[in-house]
Amino acid sequence: MSWGDVGSGALRAALPLALWGLVSAAFAARERDGRFLGSARWSAACAFVLVAGASASMIAALLSHDFSLRYVALNNARETPPYFSAISLWASLQGSILLWTTILAGAVTFVAWRGTRDLPRLATTALAILFAMLSFFLVLVVTPAADPFVRIDPVPADGTGPNPLLQDHWLMGLHPPLLYLGYVLFSIPFAYAVASLILGESGDRWITATRRSALVAWALLGVGIVAGAWWSYAVLGWGGYWAWDPVENAAIMPWLVATAYLHSVMVEEKRRMLRTWNLSLVIGAFALTILGTFLTRSGVINSVHSFSESAIGPLLLGYLAAILVFSVGLLLWRSVRLVDPEGIGTPLSREAIFLFQNVLFVAATLTVLLGTLYPLIVEAVSGDQVSIGSPYFDTVEVPLALALLFLMGVGPQLPWHGASRATLERQFSVPIVAAAAGGIVALLVGLRGAAGVLAFALAAFVAATVAQEFVRGVRARHTLHGEAPQVAFVNLFRRNGRRYGGYVVHVGIAVVALAVAMSQSLAVTKDATLAPGGSMQVGSRTIVFEGLRDVAQPQRQQVVADLRILDGGSGVPLTTALSYYPNGTSAVGSPGIRSTAGDDVYAILAAYDARSRAWATISIKVIPLVSWLWIGGAIVGLGALLAALPEARRGRRASAVVPVPASSPAGAE
Amino acid sequence: MSVASAVRRSRGASERRLLAITVLAIAIGIGYVAFQNVGASAVYYLTPTEAAARRLPPGTTTRLGGLVEEGSLRYDAASQDLRFIIGDGVTRVIVIGKGAPPALLREDAGAVVEGYFAADGSFRATQVLAKHDEVYTAPSPSATPAHRTPPP
Repeated sequence: MSWGDVGSGALRAALPLALWGLVSAAFAARERDGRFLGSARWSAACAFVLVAGASASMIAALLSHDFSLRYVALNNARETPPYFSAISLWASLQGSILLWTTILAGAVTFVAWRGTRDLPRLATTALAILFAMLSFFLVLVVTPAADPFVRIDPVPADGTGPNPLLQDHWLMGLHPPLLYLGYVLFSIPFAYAVASLILGESGDRWITATRRSALVAWALLGVGIVAGAWWSYAVLGWGGYWAWDPVENAAIMPWLVATAYLHSVMVEEKRRMLRTWNLSLVIGAFALTILGTFLTRSGVINSVHSFSESAIGPLLLGYLAAILVFSVGLLLWRSVRLVDPEGIGTPLSREAIFLFQNVLFVAATLTVLLGTLYPLIVEAVSGDQVSIGSPYFDTVEVPLALALLFLMGVGPQLPWHGASRATLERQFSVPIVAAAAGGIVALLVGLRGAAGVLAFALAAFVAATVAQEFVRGVRARHTLHGEAPQVAFVNLFRRNGRRYGGYVVHVGIAVVALAVAMSQSLAVTKDATLAPGGSMQVGSRTIVFEGLRDVAQPQRQQVVADLRILDGGSGVPLTTALSYYPNGTSAVGSPGIRSTAGDDVYAILAAYDARSRAWATISIKVIPLVSWLWIGGAIVGLGALLAALPEARRGRRASAVVPVPASSPAGAE
Repeated sequence: MSVASAVRRSRGASERRLLAITVLAIAIGIGYVAFQNVGASAVYYLTPTEAAARRLPPGTTTRLGGLVEEGSLRYDAASQDLRFIIGDGVTRVIVIGKGAPPALLREDAGAVVEGYFAADGSFRATQVLAKHDEVYTAPSPSATPAHRTPPP
């Protein structure tokens, strides 16, 4: 028996379990019968073990180069190194859907065992919905639509190897799983929202029950997007990290809607408002994850007409349509029960800022969606192939991003219900001075465009508001509890992680904004064709080209250019290469990157003398602050982690009054 | 109901209306800018024959896709002038660019270049595009993949 048989059998056994889980969870919700719940729990756990086993079998088949499987033959070769063999699980369609199914089975199991403890009715209904989704994905992986275990005959002597671009950098092992975890975990808030609608609940129990999973999904998706940008920077060899490519847009759209959602739920929790809106956002975020998968997996991006050639395209589109019809229908049916008892008052209140913020996030999503779908619409209508490039996205999204950065500084500083003049002065004096200082710094470092200068000013504004909050929080704890400053600082997170973790996220976003402004505006590029020993001057640095080497590796051939960066001292060696993979139609660049806190030297071997290796054209980019983009992403992830830490750690002394800094009007959250 | 609360309510209502109008105005403004820009930013992807048939006005940004003709690629390292011919079997277009040919540009292979037509009918490339696309044509199962192909 081969790994293929094991995996294939496991998936086929998991499907009836998921269907049985669906039935028993539905009965458990309807009859409130614990026996059915137990049955659903075990179905979930067994289905998860089987699907995870199928994924493990695929990895084993890839590692052992079992070319009798079509997927392995097309995505692996004998020379593929073990790391890249293992991560080829997500190198193409069928494996990616298998990974998705595995994560979804994990999410179902998590809800079945953890979620059903306190809220049986809501959670068991949500569980039934999750089982329905799992059944759909299991149908995909056991039918030709996306069956990863299809055999091939005759068995080839060797496989074609993974796509060269996917075996060139270790980040490929990180970016897709993070993105998929983010995508799939949005299923949990979505399932609870729909369950809440089915049961006709008007409260926010579904929000409370899924607060942590929504936050974790959002954070993983965000970190996954940054990891993808980093991969693109390190592999694609043009010195950029974001190109408004449809694949990138597909990932950022659900993240934008989810960001709006994470903020607007606070309005519902505090003020019992925006109920229909929150349900719409969570449905929208989830639908966009499916739309993203449809766009990237069906081939529709290459051509409208290619999607129907893949079996999975129409199925995913049907799934998306079913989700939208079902959940929007439910929302309309229940809308009478969801009328908000209160309205939003003055524009200078926190809830009004959240409203503006939500409008801008949704506008950003819809405009990205327009730019992404426009080529498909044009092709469907006129047959012309067009692409929408960066000019559109930059024109529309940059002002929106700056406005959001501004609101990110303003929102947390305003009290609920409305602010007095005195409050405004107390909250904004320091940040406004900081913003002015930030703008001046931007001009001093050489930024001239309005967007770049504003990004600096607003990032400084946000950083100052956050710093002010921490200083006040630490002072309040010092006065109230006599805690030392560093103890008070840690306790801010332990007692109110959601609020202070959120501030850390805001700092991370400000860091990302600075990195984007600098790297987009002040990067310097210089090309030169050099003979060995020749040098070029880029800014304050001299770059010496020392020569070319041919390097033969089992899976690829490389032409490596040795460079030396003279930066005052003896110099730092840097190599950049072009790699030739046997299955690639063209060379893959392996840019040489020397990162420092201030800037990156990014070297590309653009061309070389193929006959005698007598010259090479080296393209050097000096990109300021770009590594802070990845650091900013990590800070966002860290902040989200702090915000998601279990309540138990903070609620141990439940009788103690949670201190609200006396000088801050900003409520407990 | 006291007078004070009635006053507060009517003030609340007018502020709510103001808020709703502001939100609506923002949404309409963003929608207007987006629709204005999306059509203008659309870059057509054409084959040389389609480009010739459309008689594009010089200077219009276009993506031209086709086959780089065998033996047409010329690069002068000193002046950094790059020149090649893209054809689709019917029409041939001279492409002129600046800078070394990127490694992914090879003779007798497909290429997509972004740029514009000059008045003399040649195409001025501003960018040779890399497609980051995971789909590639897989060889037939019986064919032994050609390993260790030496770099050109």
